[in-house]
Formats: sequence, structure tokens, C-alpha cells
Amino acid sequence: MKFLVNPSKFNEMADYIFKPVLILSIILFAIGLLFSFYLSPDDYQQGSTVRIMYVHVPSAWLALLTYAIMTLYSILALAFRIPFGFIFNTAVAPIGAVFTLICIISGSLWGKPMWGTWWVWDARLTSVAILFIIYLIIIFMNLSFENRIVREKVVAIFILVGSVNLPIVKFSVDWWNTLHQPATISKLSKPSIDPSMMTPLIIMTFAFIMIGIAIAILRIKTEIISRKSYLS
Amino acid sequence: MNFLNKIIFFYYREYKLNMSGIQDILTNIIFFFISIFIFIFSIGPDKETISLIGVGILWTLLLLSSTLSLRKFYQDDFENGNLLIIHLNGFSFGFISILKTFSHFLFVQVPFLLSIPIACILLNIANDKLFYLFASFSIGSLILSCLGSISSSMNLMNQRNFLLGSVIVMIFSVPVIIFSVGIINMEESFNSLINILFGILLIVFAINPWASGLCLKLSLENN
Amino acid sequence: MLIVKDLSIERLDKKIFENINLSLTPGNITILKGKNGSGKTTLLKAILNLLEPSFGSIYWKGKLLKKNLYDFYNHVTYIGDTTSSLRKLTIKDNINIWKKFFISNINDAQIETALKTLKLDNYLNKKVGTLSFGETKKLEFLRLIIENKKVWILDEPLSNLDEDSIELMKQTFEDHCSKEGSIIFSSHQNPGIYVTEEIQL
Repeated sequence: MKFLVNPSKFNEMADYIFKPVLILSIILFAIGLLFSFYLSPDDYQQGSTVRIMYVHVPSAWLALLTYAIMTLYSILALAFRIPFGFIFNTAVAPIGAVFTLICIISGSLWGKPMWGTWWVWDARLTSVAILFIIYLIIIFMNLSFENRIVREKVVAIFILVGSVNLPIVKFSVDWWNTLHQPATISKLSKPSIDPSMMTPLIIMTFAFIMIGIAIAILRIKTEIISRKSYLS
Repeated sequence: MNFLNKIIFFYYREYKLNMSGIQDILTNIIFFFISIFIFIFSIGPDKETISLIGVGILWTLLLLSSTLSLRKFYQDDFENGNLLIIHLNGFSFGFISILKTFSHFLFVQVPFLLSIPIACILLNIANDKLFYLFASFSIGSLILSCLGSISSSMNLMNQRNFLLGSVIVMIFSVPVIIFSVGIINMEESFNSLINILFGILLIVFAINPWASGLCLKLSLENN
Repeated sequence: MLIVKDLSIERLDKKIFENINLSLTPGNITILKGKNGSGKTTLLKAILNLLEPSFGSIYWKGKLLKKNLYDFYNHVTYIGDTTSSLRKLTIKDNINIWKKFFISNINDAQIETALKTLKLDNYLNKKVGTLSFGETKKLEFLRLIIENKKVWILDEPLSNLDEDSIELMKQTFEDHCSKEGSIIFSSHQNPGIYVTEEIQL
């Protein structure tokens, strides 16, 4: 487990597992897309367009999961003084931003034929949009500061302050029925789901996780190397 | 007793500092009114339309105008060494951030509070909404001051990107706007919404000394 | 009273200095000498507990500095490399603010004499922004006198001052030490002040 907190052990583990993870992710994507397009049933209400769910839901889960792991690493870095946490934050923030972007775009593409609109201002969508902007702010902060020590600690503090948004994203569909009239039946909350639809969902989730790990390995290794040669 | 005196004279110092440069505060107010004019010219001076969205415009412009003065929150004291001297006089960094938050509230947000009635006349907002506006703005502006403290303490060492501080305040003030405008437009749920707003204030007020204090200490270390 | 033991500091993975020892007792003056960038300001900041040392510790009146911080701050004033007077206000206003904020027990007559010695008494109603740089530095020393604390920690106090002012500073230092105060200051020139301890960085 040392590879989670120690840069050199992480490098060894990364060299060991990078190629298998990459190949596994390609295979899982292939199987997952096969399942989503051909082997899963049509929804009785929505027809074929429900298949966007197999991209939309995993990317949403991954976007939240990335932010949660970034929060954990920020706590480790600030409270327990483990510098690997700062490396992780810089490396993984763009990955989370891309997942959120995929979630928002696939959601819009799903919404147009389904509910007639590209965007609606209900609680879940607004808080995911705020999550996306928080990711962008983290990326811009990493580019703006010149002093490395100030930069990494300020980004970690900001991640912790922004983690207030995470429960809001998760529980917003329960809370906000009291304030606004619900405009649509929210298929975005997690329904109880038939196994024939569950399988492609799980496979696609694992495919996303694997590709996320692969890209994260590349970015963390780059970050470790650039820190060694840093003269600022 | 000494400690209380130090706090009182800290505010005496802030008072002298702000009153000698009162044109900065007044420029904020002028910005607020000019942006109201621009909104009215862009929408058209039709009284019906304006009274429908007037409250929303008011709150948005109050938010934007109060993010204007964020550059001055800690930057001057940081650059001429006064922040360190105040710290060496016996205040911890978290406490300094609380004091400065209240000082920002007194000298920046209270003038806005006082100019709300005039803005209501310009935006054709009904008189009975005035109480709800005052209630929601007095709590909401304290939340904005706390967020401003966190954001400007993070940006002390940020030489290039000035707008980042305002972006941070704006992104976290989205719930404040949602609930404040909700209070004014839905008067029957006043109690519940003001309680939620108060809850947000307590959360932000608790996070403020921790986050701002840490960032202030960090910036002084690495100056 | 202030003891620094085996202090070493690293910043950004580069060692700035190591194994510094210092001891400050009432009535003594310590000078930190070194070229630009040798770590004088860093050492002063570490003494003020703004930086974490990577090795070594600092003691104040027998206890660790971190545990005794409030007492330490009650006995210390600091002049950094910036002038902390408020530029939009006059000298008189600045003195009033300092007197009140630092809860100073010094009376007006002493401030008058200090102003006369520093040759600032004609400028009482001028805004600080209109003074020259050397004069604002002398105003900083007035703050030191108003705060009336025992230990003075000064970062390059004699730079940018003319010869008369340096003479004045020498007298002020000796005056302070004769009243059981102590001074740590850093300089990269040779000021000709009698010092008890010299640290070369």
C-alpha cells in the first residue's frame, strides 16, 4: 500500500501495471460498448436513446469519485504532511474535469430528444455545473501561482473548501422537491434497475475507471519528474 | 481587558484607514448604480418587465459590486508589513481574518445596504418587499464577506490572475443567491428560507478563520 | 532569554543554513552578517515563528518558543524591509494609531523628545506619502519607541540611511541596551556598532 503515498514506490508500481491496465481498459470498453449497443434491451418508455445512460452515469460517478479522492489526498497532504497528496491533486484535477464535461455533454444529448431541452435548471444539473467550474478553478490556480509551496497548499485548501459541493450533488434530488416544483421525473437519480441493464453499466464503469487510472498514472509520473527538476 | 482594547483600537485604525480613502467605497456604490442603469437600458424601460426581474438584478449587481473591492482586503496590509505587525501584537491569523471580515462588512457592505432603498425605486420593486430585501441582504452580505476573506487570502501571492478571486466568491455564492431571491419572491416560506441562509452563514463563518488564517500564514512564510 | 540551538532551515529542498547558535540576554546586541541571499531574513523569520525549521529549536525564557509564543510576542517588536506607516495619513495620525493600538505606556513628552532627536518634529502634519524614504525609515523607529518592548528584531535597519542618521541609530541602540533591552539586527555592511555577538551566515 506504500505506493499510494510514496513517489518512488508509486513509480515502480506504475511501471508494473500500466500496460495491463491500458489493455484491460480497451477490452472493457469494447465489451461494454458491445453490451450497450446490441445486447441490452430498449427501455419501454425511452426507446433506444436510453443507451446514452451507459456513458452518462459512469462518467458522473467517476467525476464525483475523483473529487472525493482528491479531497482525501488534500487532507493527507495538509494534516499528515505527505507531499504525494499535492502531486496527486495537480495530476488528477484535469481528469476529473474531463469526466464532468463528458457527463454534462452526454446529459445534454440525452435531454434533447427525451425531455425536449438541452439544459434545465434543476438542482442536480446546477450543482454538477458548479463542480465543473470548481475543477476549472483548480486547474487555473495551478497555472497562476509562481511559488510552488504556496501553490500546492492553496490548491489543497481550496479543494477542501469546495468539497462542500459534493454532498449537495449527491442529495440535491432529495432536498429540492420542497423548494421548486419538480419539472420532470428525474431519471437522473438512481432507480432500481433491471439486471440486463445493470451489466453494461457495471462494465462501462470499470472501463472508465481503468482508463482513468491509466491516464492518471501518466500524469502523476510526469508531475513527479517535473518536481525533481524544479528550480523555483 | 488589554485584548478588548486592542480589538477596539484595531477598528479605530480600520476606520481611519477607510475614511481617509472614502472615494474607494463611494466608487463601489457608483459602480452599482451605473450597472443598474446599463441593465435598464439593455432591457428597455418597460415598467412591467423590470418589476418582474428587479429583485434578481438587484442581488446580482450587489454580488458583483462587492467582489470589486476584494483586491484591497488583505493586499495593502500584506505588502507594507502591517499584517505581520498586527500578528505580533497578539492576534492569531484566524482571529485577524474574523476582524477583517467584520471590518469589510462594515465599510463595504453597509453602504450597499443603505443604498438598497434608492435602487428599489429605480428598479420598480414594491415597497412591501423592502423588509425581506434587508433581511436577506444583511445575512447574505456577511456570507459574501466571509467568502471574500477566504478568496483574497488565497490570492495574496497570485500576481497575474486577478479575476480568480472574484470567480471563487461568485461560484460559492450561488446558493446564497438562490435562497435570498427565494425569500423575497416567496414570502410564505420566509421562516424556513431565512433559517437555511443562517445555516449557510454559520458554516462559512466557521470555515473562514481556518482557511484564511492558513493562507495568510502561508503567504507570510513565502513572501 | 532567547536561545537558538542548532538551527537549520531548508526552503524548496535547498539548504539555506545549518547549525546556527545564538543567545540573547538583556543588554546585549547581536548582529547577523552575510551576503545577499545568505539567509538573514530567513533566520529572523524563523525566530519570529513564521517558518518551520527543518532541524533545531528555539527557546524563550527556558521554554520552547512554540509553547511560549504569546509571552514572546509581548516582548518583541519587528522592523522588516517595508515601512508600515500608513501613507495616506499624517505622521500625527500614525502616531495616534500606534499609541492606541499597541496600548503604549509611553507619555507624550517622551514622544516629543523622540521626534526631536529623529528630526521629524517639523513634519507632524505632513502625509507620510510625501516624505522621503529615509524619513519613513526613521518613522519606523518611532514606532519601535512607542511600542516600548524589550527585544528589538530588525531586518537591515541601517540600509538607505545617511551618516547622521546612522550615528543617531547607534546612539538609540546603545540607549536601549543600557535600559536592559536587547537587539538582534542584520546588516551586510560594517556599521561600527559595538556588538556582543556576531553571527556570520
